[in-house]
Amino acid sequence: MNYENTIASKRKSSLPDTHFVNGSVYTNKAIFQKEKEKIFFHTWHFICHESEVLRKYDFRTISFLGQPLIIIRGGDNKIRSFLNVCSHRGAKIIHAPSGNSKKLTCFYHLWSYNDRGDCISIPRENGYDNSNLKKNLCGLTELKTDVFMGMVFISFNEKIMPLNDFIGDSLSSFKNTLCSGKLEVFHYSKSTIKSNWKAWQETNLDLYHEWMHVLLRRTQINAGSMKDRKVQIMPNGHAVVGGLKAKYGSYKGINDRKTTKALPGLSSEDFFFVDLFPNFAILARGTAIRIDVVTPIDENTSLVEWRGLGIKDEDPKDRRLRWKHHNQYWGPFGRNVPEDAFAAEACGEGFINSASRYQIIAREENGTGQDDGMLRAWYKEWSKLTNVNINKP
Amino acid sequence: MLEYEEIVNFIQKSCWMLDEEDFDGFLSLCSKDFQYKITAFSPELNKEMIWMDEDYEGLKNLLGMVPEHLTRLGKFTRHVTIGQTLRGNEEIIIKSSFIAVHTDLNGKSNIFGVGRYNDKIISRDKGVFLLSREAHLETRDLGIGSHVPI
Repeated sequence: MNYENTIASKRKSSLPDTHFVNGSVYTNKAIFQKEKEKIFFHTWHFICHESEVLRKYDFRTISFLGQPLIIIRGGDNKIRSFLNVCSHRGAKIIHAPSGNSKKLTCFYHLWSYNDRGDCISIPRENGYDNSNLKKNLCGLTELKTDVFMGMVFISFNEKIMPLNDFIGDSLSSFKNTLCSGKLEVFHYSKSTIKSNWKAWQETNLDLYHEWMHVLLRRTQINAGSMKDRKVQIMPNGHAVVGGLKAKYGSYKGINDRKTTKALPGLSSEDFFFVDLFPNFAILARGTAIRIDVVTPIDENTSLVEWRGLGIKDEDPKDRRLRWKHHNQYWGPFGRNVPEDAFAAEACGEGFINSASRYQIIAREENGTGQDDGMLRAWYKEWSKLTNVNINKP
Repeated sequence: MLEYEEIVNFIQKSCWMLDEEDFDGFLSLCSKDFQYKITAFSPELNKEMIWMDEDYEGLKNLLGMVPEHLTRLGKFTRHVTIGQTLRGNEEIIIKSSFIAVHTDLNGKSNIFGVGRYNDKIISRDKGVFLLSREAHLETRDLGIGSHVPI
């Protein structure tokens, strides 16, 4: 920062410390390194849905904060995650985003690994006899992996609390839907956006931003009472939002949704969502579910991944309708998601050279309407883990 | 029977009208039973996906709402190369490659997406009309996306 902004300073002085976030929280490289260490390499993270590795030996490869990972369902049906790098010369082993293989073979010198990460084959292995290198020392690095309501989570922290304790009751509202055994991922898209990762996550935490979306103004804000909305702050930085019903017919071009196409455990007009700290959101809209995760690439660039969940093996006509319902809101050509991404990038532009000094998270509506309580609770957890003061980092 | 040159001119016109966000003009080129889709294949899921799926009325409604949305600022230009034309009794199938470039308000251009158009057109007394367009995208990281058909 190379100039004073007395107007911004004066405005800030009226706010409680919990109600604003200093801009350097979004741009400072040292804070970003702390986030990686204390949050991303510390806690649990959603990595994929179990339907993405449905059959034995199905695998997915994913890059998480620059760490190449492979998630594979073993012959014993257990889902495991490994660093997708060869123990020999360090090359990334599997390059395809998905596939099915009993054996993972590195292209470089043909070292092979099984579904449990054991090194099972080293060509001309006796060349290592003098250096005492044996196959049993050359397995892949396994990460902690667990499944909750069909969603696969990983952690780099061997001492992390159990996943059940981390999530607690936060996903209870999704239980009948996610545990129905009938869901699969039917949509996947991703975007690289020019913004700090938190600016994206804030679009899932900031209820007040509904005003930006004409679709939400028509189908939510003006369609019901804001007092019906209930925000629950949950342990570990998570939050649950529900209570509002959507009126889809209020927007020209989007039809009312038929109850018969609703997902198990949902009615067609349901709209509720859960944010799991730090980077996960799951949203239900009766006939489709969206999961999004944001991971930082660097302090000013982020990768957002969106998954849509629908019914497995459904009739092609029903699938087409469900895609439409999902994508009218949440697809890359949808009415909502491009606007959220625009907002995240606009905030990035404001903060990157300190034109914006801080952001205000000061709305209080007793946990209803468009209260900023979720943002404050999220930053409280963020501060606890990073040990960084959001006002004076 | 449409001449090849007329086919090229028609496809180019349909793209330029979208470039100019002349949505009424674009819709005037579409038959009333027009079907529009944006598709992509996900190697992550090993599945085909439909990202936009509208008939004439649905597209008309959505395009009519575009001015009320917060949209990506700047302009798209669709660069089309017709690869194949297949003539049926009445309809003509046209397969083209496209590159959609986005130019921002500062005049900086970036590739938004590449893919293929699978178009079906028909020549009637009142003119030539698009019966269907499928924009199949190879590009799957679309930055902040778009409200406008590609």
